Amino acid sequence: MSGFEIAGFGHALRYHVTPMATTDRVPVTVLTGFLGSGKTTLLNRILSENHGKRIAVIENEFGEVGVDHQLVIGAEEEIFETNNGCICCTVRGDLLRILGQLLKRRDKFDYIIVETTGMADPGPVAQTFFLDDDFKRQFLLDVIVTVIDARHIEKHLDEMKEPGEQVAFADVILLNKTDLVTESELERIERRIRAMNGTAKIFRTQNANVPIDRVLDVGAFDLQRALAVDGSFLEPEYLFEWGGMYELLAGRFTLRTGSEAHAHHDHHHEHDHDHDHHGHDHAHAGGLGLVMLAASAADAVALDASIEPAVRAFAEEAKTVACGGHIVPGNTRYAIDVDHDGSHFDIEVSKAGAYAVFCEHAPAEFDLRIDGVRPAAQRAFASHHHDEEISSIGISDPRPLDAKKVNDWLSYLLQSRGADIFRMKGVLSLEGEDRRYVFHGVHMMFDGQLERPWPSGAMRRNTLVFIGRKLDRQELEAGFHSCTA
Amino acid sequence: MKQPTAILEPRGSVALDDYVVEVSWSADSRRLAVAGGEGKVFLLSHDASAMTARTVGEHGMGAITVAWQPRGEAFVTSGQDSRIALYDAAGNRVSEQRPAMAWTTTMVWTSDGKRLATAAGKQITLWSPSLEKEHVFAPLSSTVVALGWDKPGRDLGAAINGGLVVHRVEPPRFQMRHYKWTAPCLAVAFSPNARYLATGTQDGSVHFWHLSTGRDSQMRGYPSKVEHVSWSGDSRYLATAADDQVVVWDFSGKGPEGSRPLQLRGHTDRIECVAFQPAGNHLVTGGRDWRVSLWLPGKSSAALDAQLTDSEPTCLRWSPDGRFIAVGERNGKLSVFELVRIAGG
Repeated sequence: MSGFEIAGFGHALRYHVTPMATTDRVPVTVLTGFLGSGKTTLLNRILSENHGKRIAVIENEFGEVGVDHQLVIGAEEEIFETNNGCICCTVRGDLLRILGQLLKRRDKFDYIIVETTGMADPGPVAQTFFLDDDFKRQFLLDVIVTVIDARHIEKHLDEMKEPGEQVAFADVILLNKTDLVTESELERIERRIRAMNGTAKIFRTQNANVPIDRVLDVGAFDLQRALAVDGSFLEPEYLFEWGGMYELLAGRFTLRTGSEAHAHHDHHHEHDHDHDHHGHDHAHAGGLGLVMLAASAADAVALDASIEPAVRAFAEEAKTVACGGHIVPGNTRYAIDVDHDGSHFDIEVSKAGAYAVFCEHAPAEFDLRIDGVRPAAQRAFASHHHDEEISSIGISDPRPLDAKKVNDWLSYLLQSRGADIFRMKGVLSLEGEDRRYVFHGVHMMFDGQLERPWPSGAMRRNTLVFIGRKLDRQELEAGFHSCTA
Repeated sequence: MKQPTAILEPRGSVALDDYVVEVSWSADSRRLAVAGGEGKVFLLSHDASAMTARTVGEHGMGAITVAWQPRGEAFVTSGQDSRIALYDAAGNRVSEQRPAMAWTTTMVWTSDGKRLATAAGKQITLWSPSLEKEHVFAPLSSTVVALGWDKPGRDLGAAINGGLVVHRVEPPRFQMRHYKWTAPCLAVAFSPNARYLATGTQDGSVHFWHLSTGRDSQMRGYPSKVEHVSWSGDSRYLATAADDQVVVWDFSGKGPEGSRPLQLRGHTDRIECVAFQPAGNHLVTGGRDWRVSLWLPGKSSAALDAQLTDSEPTCLRWSPDGRFIAVGERNGKLSVFELVRIAGG
């Protein structure tokens, strides 16, 4: 090394795309969630369950010492900037020292769990594990688990920024306290969470009762596995979230939403109220978008074939239909008025056959159905129609990339957009390289390495995911395309 | 080929059933106190024929550090039970304190052994040799990572995020100066001649201040954080390490500004310990390549000698007389080497 110099002041961010040893790293689970979400319940279960593992827990306050093989350490959360003036290069100083101390044992801990305070931005904790090569060599940020109180999460998301950040950072989300909300509320919450974070694995739980192996040493950063869970966010985004295929005879059918049941009345009322109150323009404020098309068959293949005409129809000006109005199959986009309970619409079918219905939101949210018939095939779509600032953007492309171009692009991206990019993960196919390049990053912190080779004969494919605030898909795609070899 | 001028001669070892976190020599260079990562506190004696060890205490979940009183017959330990303890030279626990909920991570005696400074979190406390609280400083702006006294024991330096803080200890007055640097500072070391104050930083640089003027300089180019800085006894050299590099700056003449440092080559993995001989110019380093190397900076950029260890070396300490080096290891082995000079060459 000959690069030593003496300088007065100044500091430059350094990015390094260096291989890291993967063996022998202690997997770390970061546990986030608001006060009362069930975080402590989960922690206590992990500690009391007889799994025979040595676990060190770093809590967000000074607590009592643990039992048996477990060590519980209280930490005074101390956040500091590691770079002059760079607010997104913040780490937890207390964690650095505690973790350093925990290594000083002949036998390593099997797992380390770091609990954050309820209002915590998960960024500094996550970034701590990227701070230096020494740390990256010893610890593996394995999974960020966010526990959500299903009853209060919507209100929290509307009113504060931290819950959104906790959702965005998560690899695993426990949608907890499901017993306190209805099924349709759960679906609505899950959809909202999914729109923000396309990669997280979501578990619905009561008393945080998730199998322990879903929150400890789960290999969440194994992107292949993560994508196997749910890759739908990699798809193009649509203005509709659901499509269904029906076999209909000629005649008149009734499309209904809502019901007379009291519970549903409450649910809708609350739903509307929330949105009026917080100014969120949900679908039904201007009518629920709906398109009905004639199709070749009532099956999945025909459904896929109907996507393109549906996209075209959804691009048209909507025709508002009040309760009791008519819907005719064709290239018309309807905005049906579902603002009150038990709304119904007449569908005029002049010719028996298969029909595709595409709906702006999932039918379950509005109890939307056609009297007397059920869809023969259906499919959910990733929708672009979100009001959230936070979103996930996926890129999937088979073309090999130029390593230097990728490096330049990612460096530029981290420097210019690092504050808004909470998480990024990817598996890259580099020109002239047999192994996959796997990376992940938190804000401006980045860790990447060449891992196992691509299977011979298999299709090599780049897969990238960005989760962040105000992400611009076009900008990210343009940047990516500039990296092709 | 030139003969080496000095070698490390093994003088015995002992297997302790704990990770050796820290070792501290007694004032007479005959005994050692050891802190174990899983909690044990050991007392060892060594002479030409044998090393003996016994467990004298325990710190709950793990011991953090140990410091023998210079010129004294006592040592202090701290642990993950948040306690600090005072032992006499026979290994009796004579006093115990719990200064804070936070761990006491660093403990340093003045060179005359008349005062002990400890840091727990952001809090620095001064103690008498009998472990009575003398003074508690107002909490600093961030956690204290390292402490270091100047030679007279008048200035106490603390490394924090954002520079070094120096408390002038002249009871009842405690004046404070802040040497600012916008990075987490990981070490603090006054040069023995009291002219410089040095630190290593998380952002991969070494920073030093001229104490007479307050002027500062930064030495950059390290591949990673710099946790270790050590002055030679004559204040001529400042040894630093980052990754597998030992980098030594020469403060003779006009000083290191504008100069190229000495780069000592030999380690093949991250260096964990760097220690200059007290009142001497021999340097020892230990790394994750399971190697302890002996150097004489300025004379040779190659190691004079190297000894392989049985596991990762975790701490290296010179005896106060500058004759012996204690080497602690991850697997619990503790070895003593003697620096043996070879005539001629």
